[in-house]
Order: sequence, then structure tokens, then C-alpha cells
Amino acid sequence: MVGDSYSRELVIRHPHVFDPATGLDGIMDVRLSSGRIAEVGEGLRGPRELDADGLHLFPGFVDIHAHWRTPGREDEEDIQSGSAAAAAGGFTGVVMMPNTDPIVDRPVVVSGLVSRVERESRVRARVSAALHVGLAGERLTEMRLLKQAGAFCVSDDGLGTASAGVLRNGMLYARSAQLPVILHCEDHTLATGVVHDGVAASLAGLPGSPASAEDAATATALILAAETGAKVHITHVSTALSAALVGFLRGRADVTADTTPHHLTLTEDLVSTLEGLYRVNPPLRPEHDRAGLELAVRDGVLDFVATDHAPHASEEKELPIEEAAPGFLGHETAFAALYTDLVLGSRLSLKRLVEAMSCAPGRWVGTGGSLAVGAPADLTLVDLSEEWTVGRGTLVSRSSNSPFLGRTLKGRVVGTIVGGEPVHDRTGAKFGARA
Amino acid sequence: METRSFLTLEDVGREDIREILDLARAFAEGRVRDALEGKTVCLAFFEASTRTAVSFELAASRSGAHVISLSEKGSAIAKGESLIDTVVTLDRLGADAIVLRHQASGAAALASRHTSAPVINAGDGCGQHPTQALLDLYALCEALGGLEGLQGRRAAIVGDVLHSRVARSVIPAFLQAGMEVALVAPRTLLPPDGGAFDLPVLSSVDEALEWSADVLYMLRLQKERMTGARIPSVAEYARFYSVSRRHLESGALVMHPGPVNRGVEISGDVVLDASSLIPDQVASGVCVRSAVLALSTGAAQSIAA
Repeated sequence: MVGDSYSRELVIRHPHVFDPATGLDGIMDVRLSSGRIAEVGEGLRGPRELDADGLHLFPGFVDIHAHWRTPGREDEEDIQSGSAAAAAGGFTGVVMMPNTDPIVDRPVVVSGLVSRVERESRVRARVSAALHVGLAGERLTEMRLLKQAGAFCVSDDGLGTASAGVLRNGMLYARSAQLPVILHCEDHTLATGVVHDGVAASLAGLPGSPASAEDAATATALILAAETGAKVHITHVSTALSAALVGFLRGRADVTADTTPHHLTLTEDLVSTLEGLYRVNPPLRPEHDRAGLELAVRDGVLDFVATDHAPHASEEKELPIEEAAPGFLGHETAFAALYTDLVLGSRLSLKRLVEAMSCAPGRWVGTGGSLAVGAPADLTLVDLSEEWTVGRGTLVSRSSNSPFLGRTLKGRVVGTIVGGEPVHDRTGAKFGARA
Repeated sequence: METRSFLTLEDVGREDIREILDLARAFAEGRVRDALEGKTVCLAFFEASTRTAVSFELAASRSGAHVISLSEKGSAIAKGESLIDTVVTLDRLGADAIVLRHQASGAAALASRHTSAPVINAGDGCGQHPTQALLDLYALCEALGGLEGLQGRRAAIVGDVLHSRVARSVIPAFLQAGMEVALVAPRTLLPPDGGAFDLPVLSSVDEALEWSADVLYMLRLQKERMTGARIPSVAEYARFYSVSRRHLESGALVMHPGPVNRGVEISGDVVLDASSLIPDQVASGVCVRSAVLALSTGAAQSIAA
């Protein structure tokens, strides 16, 4: 469904073009042709035009961490609904995690998923295969055959990191297979609780997982990345110390890292509600961790943001927090939550936010993240002035487990274009064939 | 008579290699006979072996030596006697050479420090297997026109370099012969960054042929390493690191120290193909080991004289 051959031309008129990658910043026109950015300038006209007065135009957002629950739990999300949610959040590229049923650990599962994505996804969706068979941290997957089948990277996300010796071989083999490794760093001998092992947990009498569960695993992963030379991405960093560790070892390893919109905006205080909705892994942390993550994103120690979009059926979330499934929706609220809390709160520049949502993850996946002439026309149009309240009715995802439900946010994605083709359109201008 | 242990190929120079190969040829052609007459050669194999043990036994006996074989079973080795005690015993009993196979790297060097008889390393752990590398060179010289014929040729060493004593001897041997060497293996089966070898690392037999390999030297993949920690599956390993018939069109020669896992390192129809030097490698073992025994015991000096 996503192609670069979309031949129709489109001129987007008068948006505020804002792209940290090229330095573009101002009201101008953009011509899209044959799926690429053909021209950026003033006074551009064409047979098909979109009046984007008052809107901001960014390079398309890229989310390297999404659970579209396909195959196996299409009642929670499928490729159509997941990609629609991504497009609604302004994401033009996504990496799908392999902890599905069946797990994406065999070449035939990868090739099946890749061909389905080509038919069904509105955005560029890449498939992460498993690093270990069954995500079990024992036997390596056939990474070279997985890559030939179309896998973009490997990850045991959802389960934590294997023992150091096993992980080291996984990194070495992934390097030989020329596949990046996305790591969910969590030491299971420490992560025995359901929420952060902090004040809220102790008041509520909930079993806690200490920050060390993440920090120890992150340190191990970074050291092994440095030693093996593997290309490693550490996902959903949630503690200040883990972020600092990334900064400490960055120069010695081929490593990047992200944190999530929810870890940048929410804290363990929500645990005191005891609502299953707020269970997530890694857990919401204390304010000092949140503040540390914010600083790390500001300084570029954490390269980018990824949402860990994790849909769950209501019967898995409307439970006591100890019994609920961990995970939040992420695609549709990511930009607005970060813009409202961090940019409007004067804690993060819009430039750095767009870098963290578009440019840096775009570079990591190799497509997008720039409005340079000749680049794929993957774009996001945002109305920074629109206020909206997150509600079940506003969500495109098949699930509704957003921690921002009921929150009024500012800044809303009104148009998303992938390869020159509109895949999400709330502009009212009907610039695309599909809304 | 000057004797010398033969422990490693790391410090053996090109002229030493030439001397051994020339003497081996003399043995092969029958120009030298009974060179080891009156010598006692002890084979001390702490680890199971078929072709190396038989090859050494033939090399010694055909040259007139008296051969004593100790195996794990039925000797003091089975009773738990230490390596040093065993070799000291053999030495004091009057062995003129001790051929040692042991499961631990460095065993031959350790033994040699406790004996007056020369120790010949017949394979120590993942350390060295020098006579294997020499017989490989011998077989290659036969195929490619002598040591000069190897100059500038390209050899790809394919497989489990990390755990291979053969690789640790073959690599310096090939380099001394003036060959270019590349390693072909996943990084789980390589020393870090190719290790001290500092050789190019390629990712498949196909890539080795693109690199214009003249020789594909296939290493044995131990059964216990075939699934799990370092290799995902035999299917994936074979897909990238096995020689099959289609690779032979390039004219590359195929070598393997044996025993072969057919269908893993080499597809079954290649093992005995005309491109395969594997039978020649085995055949070269006897004359090369006779030469090594003759040089180690000093018997070669009397040949020259």
C-alpha cells in the first residue's frame, strides 16, 4: 500500500515548514511529485493544492517501537488499525515488534508479515524479528534467513534481556547478520514486581520492581555492545541512571537509545489510583527519573522518542493493577502530549522535539526524517493551536488504553503523507483520496 | 644428535617449512627409508583420534621406528595419572619422541619442558595442530606446483575458527607460504575482531568466491555447537558456510581436516569430487609425519650426512 510511485503531484501551500535536518524554518510552499519532495520555495502552484495556512509541516514522525498485535491478537490491533493510529499520530514509519502469536522468529512468519504490511499498512512498517527463538533467550534465531525474508532488525522486546553470555553471542551473531538489535533492558532476577519499587508502591502495598532491574541490564547491554561492535538500540529508557549510562558509553559503542512520551510526562504518582490502566513496563518512575529523561532528550543523550504503542483489550486493563496487562497506546497522543507538557512548558524546544520524533529515528531506520529535496515525501502536518481532549471517540486504534484519556492536549496532527500519498487527512481540504 | 620439539607453527619460517616438505617428499618417493630405525616413538593420546593416531603410527613404523601407543583406555592415562607424570615416565623409559594429543591448549609445550625426548604436538585443545597444517600444505603443493605455486593464492578458512586448533596452525602455515587468507564465519565463531590474525572477515562461501578464493578450507563444526548459543540452526549454517556443488564451478579447491559432517560443512556430493583435496590431505599425513619425526629426533641429520 505504501509506494514511492504515487505519481500525482501535490503542492502544499503556505505551511510553516519546520525541519531541523535541513534547517528549513518559515512559511513556504512544498511541491511533492512521484512520491518525493520535488521543490521547496515560494509561489509554487499546481493542479492540486492544499491550503496549509496556519499549519506546521514537519518531516514525518518515525516510531521504532510498536505492537500491532498481528498475528494473533487482531481483536486488540491489526495492521490496518495500527497503521491508521500511527498515521493519525503523524507517524509515517513504524517498526513492529515480534512478540506476537506466533512469535516472529521464523523466516516464514517474517515474509508473511512483510507481504501483509505491503498490502495493508498506511505507513512504512518494518518488521522486527526475534533475537532468540520464542523470545526465550536461549537459541539464536536464523537471523540471516530472517533478514533475507525481510526482517529489519531483531529484538526480544516484551521480555527482558537474556543472561550476559547469551546476549553477547546474540549481538555477535546479529552483527554478522548485519541486523540492528533493539533491546528491552530488564533483569528478571530484579524485576519481580508490577510497578516501580518506590513510594507509591510501598503505600499501596504493591510488589515493586526496582530501577536497578533496568539499570543493571542497561549497563550490561552497553558494555556488550561496546565489546561486540553490534549496532544496538536501547528502547524505552525509563530511569535517569540508565540515560546517564547511555551517555557514558555512547562513544565506545554503536548505540542509540530512546525513551517514551509517557515516561517523559507521567510519574509513579498514577500508581496510587491502583487502576490497571496505569500498569506499564518499564513502570512509571518517580519525578527525578522523569526529569532526568527530559534532560537527556534535551541534550541528545537519548537520541529519540518511541512510543511502545501497546494496545490491550479492555478486559486486560480494567483490572486491579497487579492483574492488568502492562502497556499503553502511544501513536496518537505522542506529539500532543510532548508538545503540551514539554514544549509549551518551556522545557524542550520544538526543534529538539521534531528531531527526536522525526529526524533521529528517521536516520535510524534509513528513510525519512528530512524535508530535503529528493527525499521521500513522508510528511506530517500539525495544527499547533488546536486543543483536543483525548477520548475513546478520538482514538483510531482498536484499543483505548491510553494513559492520557480525558486529558486536554494542545497540538494536533491534521494530515499525514507517506510517499506523497495522504494517509491521514483532517485538514478539511480533501487533499487526499483517503481520509 | 640434536633433537627439537615440534609444538606450534606460529614460529616456523618459510625455509623450515620447505625443509619439512622436501623431506616429506623424499619419504613419499621412497628416497628415504628406515630413517627412524632403532628409535622408539611413543604415541600418547589423551583424546580420541582416528586419522592422526593411525597416520603417526604408520609414519613411525614405516620408517623403521618401534612404536608404542598409549590411549586413554588401558593405560595410566585412564587411571588419572597427570600429563607430566605420564610423559616423564615415557621419557625415562627411553622414548626417542613423544607424540602427544591432549584436550588442553598448551599441553604439548608443558610436556616438552619436562622431557629430554622431543615432544610432537598432535593437537592440543583449541591451540595448535601443526602436522595437520603441514600435510595440508603438502597436499596443496602437490596440486598447485610446489611452494612457489602457492604464492599469492587465496585461501578462505570457513567455519568455527574460534574453537579450531587446525585453523591456528593452518593460518600461519598458509601465510608463510605466501598465501592470502580470509576468515569466513559468523562472529560467534571468531575470535574478537578476527583476533590476533588481523585477517579479512567474509560472511559466506559465496562471498569467499567473490573474493576469488582458490582454496576453501572447511573447518569441522562440532556437534555440540550446531544448535543454540552460537549457531541458530544447521540449516542457516549450511546456507551460508557450506560448500555445495554450485561453488565448484569457480575451480576452487576444497579442503577439510576431517572428519567431515556431510551436509553441514560440505554437501555429500562434494567430499570426493575431483575438486576435493580431502583424500590427498589424508594421504599426505604419513610422509609429512615421517619427516617431522625424523627432524625432531635428529634422524634427519644422518640422512643428510
